[in-house]
Parts: sequence; structure tokens; C-alpha cells
Amino acid sequence: MSSEPVISLQNVTKRVGRKTIIDNLTFDVPQGEIFGFLGPNGAGKTTTIRMIVGLIAMTNGQILIKGKNIKTEFEQAIRHVGAIVENPEMYKYLTGYHNLIHYARMVPGVTKERIDEVVSLVKLENRIHEKVRKYSLGMRQRLGVAQALLHRPSLLILDEPTNGLDPEGIRELRDYLRYLTRTEGITVVVSSHLLSEMELMCDRVAILQRGKLIDVKPIEYFTKGSDTFQTYRIEAQMPEQAIKGIRQMAGVQEIKISEDGLIEVTTEREQIPDILEELMRNHIRIYGVQMVRRSLEDGFLELTGGGQIG
Amino acid sequence: MVNLVLNENMKIFRRARTWILIALMAAFVIFGNFVMWNENKSAQGEGWQTELTQQKEMWNDRLKNSSPDDESQTYYKEQIEVIDYHLEHNIRSEQGTMWNGINESAGLGILITIFTIIIAGDIVAAEFATGTIKLLLIRPANRLKILLSKYIAMLLFGLVLLFTLFVVSVLMNGILYGFKDIGLPLVSMINGHIVEQNMVLNLWKTYMLNGIATVMYVTIAFMISSVFRSSAMSIGFSIGILFAGNILLEALHRYEWSKYLLFANTDLTQYLDGRPFQDGMTLSFSIGVLVVYFLAFNLISWLMFTRRDVTA
Repeated sequence: MSSEPVISLQNVTKRVGRKTIIDNLTFDVPQGEIFGFLGPNGAGKTTTIRMIVGLIAMTNGQILIKGKNIKTEFEQAIRHVGAIVENPEMYKYLTGYHNLIHYARMVPGVTKERIDEVVSLVKLENRIHEKVRKYSLGMRQRLGVAQALLHRPSLLILDEPTNGLDPEGIRELRDYLRYLTRTEGITVVVSSHLLSEMELMCDRVAILQRGKLIDVKPIEYFTKGSDTFQTYRIEAQMPEQAIKGIRQMAGVQEIKISEDGLIEVTTEREQIPDILEELMRNHIRIYGVQMVRRSLEDGFLELTGGGQIG
Repeated sequence: MVNLVLNENMKIFRRARTWILIALMAAFVIFGNFVMWNENKSAQGEGWQTELTQQKEMWNDRLKNSSPDDESQTYYKEQIEVIDYHLEHNIRSEQGTMWNGINESAGLGILITIFTIIIAGDIVAAEFATGTIKLLLIRPANRLKILLSKYIAMLLFGLVLLFTLFVVSVLMNGILYGFKDIGLPLVSMINGHIVEQNMVLNLWKTYMLNGIATVMYVTIAFMISSVFRSSAMSIGFSIGILFAGNILLEALHRYEWSKYLLFANTDLTQYLDGRPFQDGMTLSFSIGVLVVYFLAFNLISWLMFTRRDVTA
């Protein structure tokens, strides 16, 4: 196993006219990682993915897939890539099987046995000889995964793979991805505007906003937050009155009342007993205290400075 | 490359639409032949010898009474010689045989042009319209190869229609007129000598000459399909100029530059009759013009297909 990244973007820039759509993107993804690409709609996720697979030409910079330049060595580079760009659009008038034959013919070395293998991996054995027109969205998505895996790619690229999938389909897809990274050492780059989804799927997340890379962070960063400050929810009587007293206290970073009438206070753990004591001293009745697990959303908002999310 | 063409063929021939077009082609040939046969039947009378004798008299009349120019004079004389040859060697004329209908059917080649335009207009544009282009272009095959495979597949479809025309017209006319004259030779005058030619070869020569125009029009459709990525626009525009071409030629006939127009050169039979669209046009001139157009159309398709971003 080499330490060479499976995919490497170096100063990738896309300009259309005067508008810079993608601005100087640089990052590497090592083997076996599920790498998330996160950003609001219009941030440039799809454009970046299309540049990675050579559908869109870049203005500057280069993209290397297993060391091969996607621009100058397209055929050698793309050989390692399996992808679904946006929805898996198949030939509806062909059967699922013929769709796979179509793509199998385009890559040397894909045997009939391999087609069958992939079909059973995505559990389409019973319906593979039906026309794609009759497939449900979930089945099309699975056929999409099948065509992407046919030629045993080292890099799987999925653009908004869960668009239009039901929760069951999303869970299934997630399981595939985990299975593939574990058993075949495949590397996955996946884009989404849905934070919650990324949280469950990815090892690392790159955050893109208005064509710029804001940051690349391991997923734990978003879910655990900083070590010292945490947010707690306190269910208490007369919250408006209650927060007046607490706001002045040392160690309280932020305090507000949530939509459902709970006090949300961001502070250090050691401050909690003092806050409760303060409330009780003011004869405010307390019904519960709970630590809030930070969501990717919060981390995202923090990184993007509260910018709009999808 | 072979695999890519196989793929395109699969996408063409595994669609109901394609078979409807082929069936329509066959239906038009059957219907057209039946109508022609029906008309000819009533016109036929006393047998081919009498008819040829009548024709000979007609040419003789013209030769004597209408004081024709030199060119027409030789033409009339040639016609008479050909008729004499028929009568002397007891070779019947095409009239009233299956070959009459088969040769006339070559005129239905326009349907091949129209139907192939439909396929050509769709073959690139539909991939963009349905989004399948994204999965097609992320394979280890460069875009030029993919475009070329589509072009080849489209021409192959045209050939399938041509074979349909040939087979159906031979069968249909054989059934209507009987197959007994299937070995009839074509008697004609070439460079002052009477020659007997094979009818089938002659027919395919006609097909190929007509085919030149077909190839040009479908290439236009293919170009529009890959430039504008819209089937409707491609099919509409190509069929439009297919029909408007001749009207346009009439209108522009007085300008000398009109000889450089594509439509002025697609019909190479104008040199067989010796009546080119503009004086001074030669066969090699037309071939040259056609080659330039052909290369230009394909170059535009190629540049547009390989260079542009895929945002579908």
C-alpha cells in the first residue's frame, strides 16, 4: 500500500467568463477514506466533481488520480474512477443488464462473471432483466452503484447520492460504502448538502463555500466540538427571568432561550453546579439538565461564520 | 472502437422507435410500389415490342419535325439505337417488369434521409437530454472515439434502411410483376457503344449517388445534434433545409456564387444528364465542394463535442 493519495487536487480553479466558480482548491484524499464534500447548493460541489471526472475542464491547476493527470492522461486516470454524477441516469429503454453491458464494453477486462457479481452485490438479481423504465428510484440508484463498481475502481465518486432516496435507501447506500472501503480498500469521495448524512458516512469533510475551500476537518471535529465549552439545556420555570441572573456569571460563553422554551447555555462543565445554585437561589424551579451533542450543523455554521446552508 | 459501435447499435436497435421507422420504410415501399403497379397496369397494352416501336416513332418524329440542337439530336439518335438493340436481340424493355418498379423505388430514398436524420438528431442530443452523457464520458474512451462511434452507428442505420428499401422493393415488385425478368440486363449507350449492364449493379450505383445527398444531410443533423444538444432543433432544421434547399437554389440561381451552396452540389446526377446547376460546374468541382462541407461539418461536431464542458 503506497502512501500516495488516491486523488489529489492542486490549485484547481474554474472560471467562466469573469466569474470564479471554483477558487484555488487543494486537497488530497488517502486510500480507504470516505471523504465528504459539503457545502450549500451552488457552492461548487458538482462543478468540482465534474472536474475530477473530466466532464468540465479546469481553468487552472491539476487533478491527479493515482498519479495520473485527468487532463493529459484522461484514459489512464479515469480507469480508476467509478462515479455517479448527480442522479444515476440510465438508458430507460434498455434493461438493467444491458445498461451494465454497455458500460462493461467500455472498459477492458470486465467479464460476464463480474457483471453478475456486481448485480448480486447490489441485490438486483431478480429485476436485472427488466427495463430500467420500470425501476423505482432506489433500484436505479443501486444500478448506478453497480455501473460505478463494474471495473473495480480504486476511487468511487458520488455526487449527491442520496438525492431522492428514502431513508431505507440512504441506509443501504451507507452500508455499501462502509463495506467497500473495508473489504476492497476503495476510496470514496461523496458530496452532499445534507449535514446529517455526512455525519454518518464520512471520515473527513471538506467544507466548500462560494467556490472556496473553507476547511478540511475530521468528522469528530464537528460532532465533539471543543474540549472545554459545551452547550447544556436546562428546563426551568420562567426562563426569561432565569437567564438574567446567569448571563452575568463568569465562564458563561453564550446563553439564550431555545424555541421550545429551554435555556441553552454554553459554558464549561465546572460552571454547571454554580449555575444551578444561582437559579435555585432565585427560587426558580429546575426540571432537568442535559448536555447537547454538537451536530455537524453547528460545526459547519461555526466554520462558515453562520453562512447559509442548503 | 468496435465495442463503442456495438454500444451505439444496441442503443439504436433496442428501441421500439427504431423498428417503427424501419417498418414505416417497408410500408411506404410496399404502398408506393402497389400504387405505381396499379397505374402502369392500366397504361400497358399490347406488349413491349409494340410499345418500343411506338417510342421509336416518337423519337423519329422529334428528330424530323422539331429541328433540335446537336446535343438533343445525338440523344434522340441514341435512344433509337437502344430501342433497335432491344428489338433485334429480343431483350424486353424495363417497362412492365419488376425492374421498372424497383428502379422507381430508388426515389423513396428521401425517406432514408428523413429517418436517418431522426436518428442522427437524437444520437448525441438525447444523451445530454437524459443526462446519460455523464456516465458515458467518464469511461476510458476519449470523446472523439465516442463521437465517431455514434457517427458510424448512425450511418449503419441508414444502410439498414437502404437494405430494407432494396429487399422490400425487389420482393414487392417480384410479387406484383412476377420474378421472371429478374435477370433482365440494362441496355444503354455509353460513349457511343451499346452495352448491357447488370440491373442490380446499376441500381446500387443509383443508390450510392443518392446516398451522397443523404450522407450530407444526416451529417448536418449530427452536427446540430452535437453543437446545440437538442434533438428537436436538429431534426427540424435538417428536414427543413432538406426541403427548402431546392427552393433556395431557385431563388439564388441568378447569383454565380450559388454554385458553392451545398444543395447545388448534392445531386451528382446533374452531370450524368449533362445539365449542371450553373454553367462551368464540373463533377470534380462538386465533389470538391462536398468534401469541404463534409469536413467542415464533422470538424464542427468534433470541436463542439470534445471541447465543451458537460453541464447537463
